[in-house]
Amino acid sequence: MLVSGVLVLAVAGCGVTVPSDPDGTLDRVRDGQLRVGVTPNPPWTELPAGDDGPPAGLEVDLVTGFAGHLGADVDWEVGSEEQLVADLEDGDVDVVIGGLTARSPWASRAALTRPYVTVPGERGEEENHVMATRAGENAFLVELERYLIAQDVQADVGGLR
Amino acid sequence: MSAAFGATQLPEEQERALRRAVRLAWVTLGFLATALVLMYVVMGSSQAMRTAWAEDLLSLIPPVAFLVAVRVTRRRPSPGHPYGYHRSVGVGHLVAGTALLTMGLLLVWESASALLAREHPPVGVMVVLGHPVWSGWLMIAALAYTAVPPVLLGRAKLPLARTLHDRVLHADADMNRADWMTAVAGIVGVLGIGVGLWWADSAAALVISLSILKDGVTNVRTAVRALMDARASTVDGSEVHPLVARVEEHLAAVPWVREGGVRLRDEGHVFHAECFVVPRDGVTPSLQALADLGGSVSALDWKLRDVVVVPVPELPGELLPHVAGDNAGERGRTEQGTAGHDAG
Repeated sequence: MLVSGVLVLAVAGCGVTVPSDPDGTLDRVRDGQLRVGVTPNPPWTELPAGDDGPPAGLEVDLVTGFAGHLGADVDWEVGSEEQLVADLEDGDVDVVIGGLTARSPWASRAALTRPYVTVPGERGEEENHVMATRAGENAFLVELERYLIAQDVQADVGGLR
Repeated sequence: MSAAFGATQLPEEQERALRRAVRLAWVTLGFLATALVLMYVVMGSSQAMRTAWAEDLLSLIPPVAFLVAVRVTRRRPSPGHPYGYHRSVGVGHLVAGTALLTMGLLLVWESASALLAREHPPVGVMVVLGHPVWSGWLMIAALAYTAVPPVLLGRAKLPLARTLHDRVLHADADMNRADWMTAVAGIVGVLGIGVGLWWADSAAALVISLSILKDGVTNVRTAVRALMDARASTVDGSEVHPLVARVEEHLAAVPWVREGGVRLRDEGHVFHAECFVVPRDGVTPSLQALADLGGSVSALDWKLRDVVVVPVPELPGELLPHVAGDNAGERGRTEQGTAGHDAG
């Protein structure tokens, strides 16, 4: 008990922020580039016809807001979920959006955020919507989760579907 | 609670110890239930946390085994079970040990492969009373909660295990006393995630699962030794039980006995004693003398049950002093070999 108490103090005293990113994602994104993987899944994410111009949709807006909050520019990367999750694992994108839910099978390969909104699904079941970040980059994950909680999306989206 | 193990009436000291031990077993179960729920709620995807949770889940087995064994062992001997039900302690012990061993292996495998696969555990926020809090802090709080009570419970149980000569209780107490290390390892693992050392989590999980594995090996070994009717030993299995020497001294002090030896079998709680005595030349002990000797051996300790006294022309080979040491096993094997040969 004493040992762990000392450890907590030692960690707190070192000036290390807890949690930290093993790969420093949050530090790199802040005032830099936020690389977002987008896979189309309206109304959460939509790609413009003709392939030019930025994507649109609720999650696109949220992520754009998050980038603004960190003072970062957004770099959009369009692809399939599988391809983008692989990019996430390799550290080629920082976050993946595309109407993912908490039941996503990608949970073992990526860190899903806590649900930022719950809507009724097609068969009446609850759909908990999440975003995917790179596994283990916990400072970045926590920053995004805190941002999403602060947006209180649930209040705005009541009548989305 | 009636104060008897089968046909064995418990002395007051043992009776008190038993009542206290049963109460402590229930307290342990109650505490573990709260710890399991608390840890489950905040668990998330930390491997160390999952392993610590599994260990707490496994800690349920020894107190349950103890409560069941104590209940079963109180049944009186019957024609179908002439030795009584004392062996239930051994059975409970073996079951508990096997569970620990199996889970230990599984968890070592799981955490080692997480480490080798370079899994980076994600730990995000939870909302507590409307405030987002990093789950790691909650995990640390839950682990800290599980650190202290088991140590106190273990310390309280250990002397009771000695008084009652109960190996399941002893194993339980031993594991409880070491439980704070699990909590600290878990805390170190979660703090490791916190400061960005992804491997700290699986490494801590590996440490915890190795300790579970070690508990399993120790328990299975002691339980199997007891079930194999090895020479009666103290409850922690570290040395020969002092009653062996006491009974032999008692036999040697009888005037008509030239030499005597005893085979003490640990049935769990109580010992069955077979006393072999070689009468002095020309003496044929009367029935009364044999019965009195049996009675006086029984009176040496509450644990001595089913004492039989057998007059023999010479002591059985395995009880002779010159084979009592390392040769005992050797000799046993030779005899067995011969017997097998004869039979074939």
